[in-house]
Amino acid sequence: MKTEDLISALAADPAAPRPPRVETRLPGFLGLGVLVTALAFALVLGPRPDLAAALARPVVLAKTLLPLLLAALALPLVLRDARPGARYGLPGALIWAVPLAVAGLFLLAFLTELPGDRLRLFLGHSIPVCLPAITLLSLPMLAGLLVALRRGAPVRPARCGALAGLVAAGLATAIYSTFCIEDSPLFYAVWYSAGIMIATGLGALAGRQLLRW
Amino acid sequence: MNDRNALWGDLLRRGNSGDRAAYARFLTETLPVLRNIARARMAGGTAEEVEDVVQEALMAIHAKRHTWREGEPVTPWLYAIARYKCADAARRRRARGGGSGAEVPIEDLAEVLPDEALGEVTAARDLTRLLQRLDPRAAEIVRALGVEGESAAEVGARHGMTEGAVRVAYHRAMRQLKALAGEAGAHAAEGDPPDATMARDRTGHRTAGHKTTGQERDDQEAVTTVGRRR
Repeated sequence: MKTEDLISALAADPAAPRPPRVETRLPGFLGLGVLVTALAFALVLGPRPDLAAALARPVVLAKTLLPLLLAALALPLVLRDARPGARYGLPGALIWAVPLAVAGLFLLAFLTELPGDRLRLFLGHSIPVCLPAITLLSLPMLAGLLVALRRGAPVRPARCGALAGLVAAGLATAIYSTFCIEDSPLFYAVWYSAGIMIATGLGALAGRQLLRW
Repeated sequence: MNDRNALWGDLLRRGNSGDRAAYARFLTETLPVLRNIARARMAGGTAEEVEDVVQEALMAIHAKRHTWREGEPVTPWLYAIARYKCADAARRRRARGGGSGAEVPIEDLAEVLPDEALGEVTAARDLTRLLQRLDPRAAEIVRALGVEGESAAEVGARHGMTEGAVRVAYHRAMRQLKALAGEAGAHAAEGDPPDATMARDRTGHRTAGHKTTGQERDDQEAVTTVGRRR
């Protein structure tokens, strides 16, 4: 078929009733994912008994707020990444503040803890719970994001999937942090980050498969 | 560049809200630019390969036109889509094992190609087999438009589709068929013992690492021929 014929065929294709855009579909699907995750969390883990008191300490509050901030900054990035030619803009620069803050907290804790305590705090007692929990809790939200993103047109599907993984992992980690009683940055700066990276990697793999167009 | 963004942005905006003439003009005006991008990105590709990518880019632009935001410059959006489709095509070409030598002038194959009459029989048999691998409606549209020579309007009326939608579906199915034919050819090539004619041809006219055989060319030709007959 000649290209000119294709153009007339495409132009004759009646303007479809405006297809719902990623932005309109996303809140619903992401919300559904959050709901499933929250439900699973409430049924299996649940918040720690001393949550209110613990959150009064800045170093504990940070382990909930930082992943939340990560998700909030990654969300506009994933939306922009789903549009060809769009730039990341301000959130793309601001998001680096999160890993910087995490590194800062880790360093501070490393310097203030007694040398004999460092390894014990770093290893904690819940790595085998922490990593799979963060990964699993992020899956429902990752799925919701990917469904919404299939409407978009990411020119780097793996990267877009990774950003979706980052959003989901940030939210999942914030939720998980209300269960976890390991309050030293020596633990959470490392192991939460590792969990977030696993979920981000899963998002990249899924994105490469599901977000191609 | 700003003029172009303003003009194209305006055309696409009107096109997106249902102005077909503006939309057709948008696609037509961007066509040379798309061709340039495809040519630059598909270095070593044949004219046919370049045009294939251009058509894929056009269909992608059409399918994803809602991802452009009114008020944003249209060219970065457009170029990003074109580049994406070029990268996609290049990846597929690598996966097929074809390099820049994947296409050979047809005259070079005169000795190894079966004669026309035989080609028609093989083509008909292969086409039936390939059509079975499409979804039933697409296969029906190809048969009606490409083989029976019905008009898009007739087929559309039968399927409750608009004429435009039938043409787009037909076009899509033809591309799929072409890809399937290429695949079938590549598989056939792996199974074939290299006979003397082919071996001579390979050494004579083809670059290394090249897997296209006379059969694949034949399949592709056959499908294209049927496609053009409507």
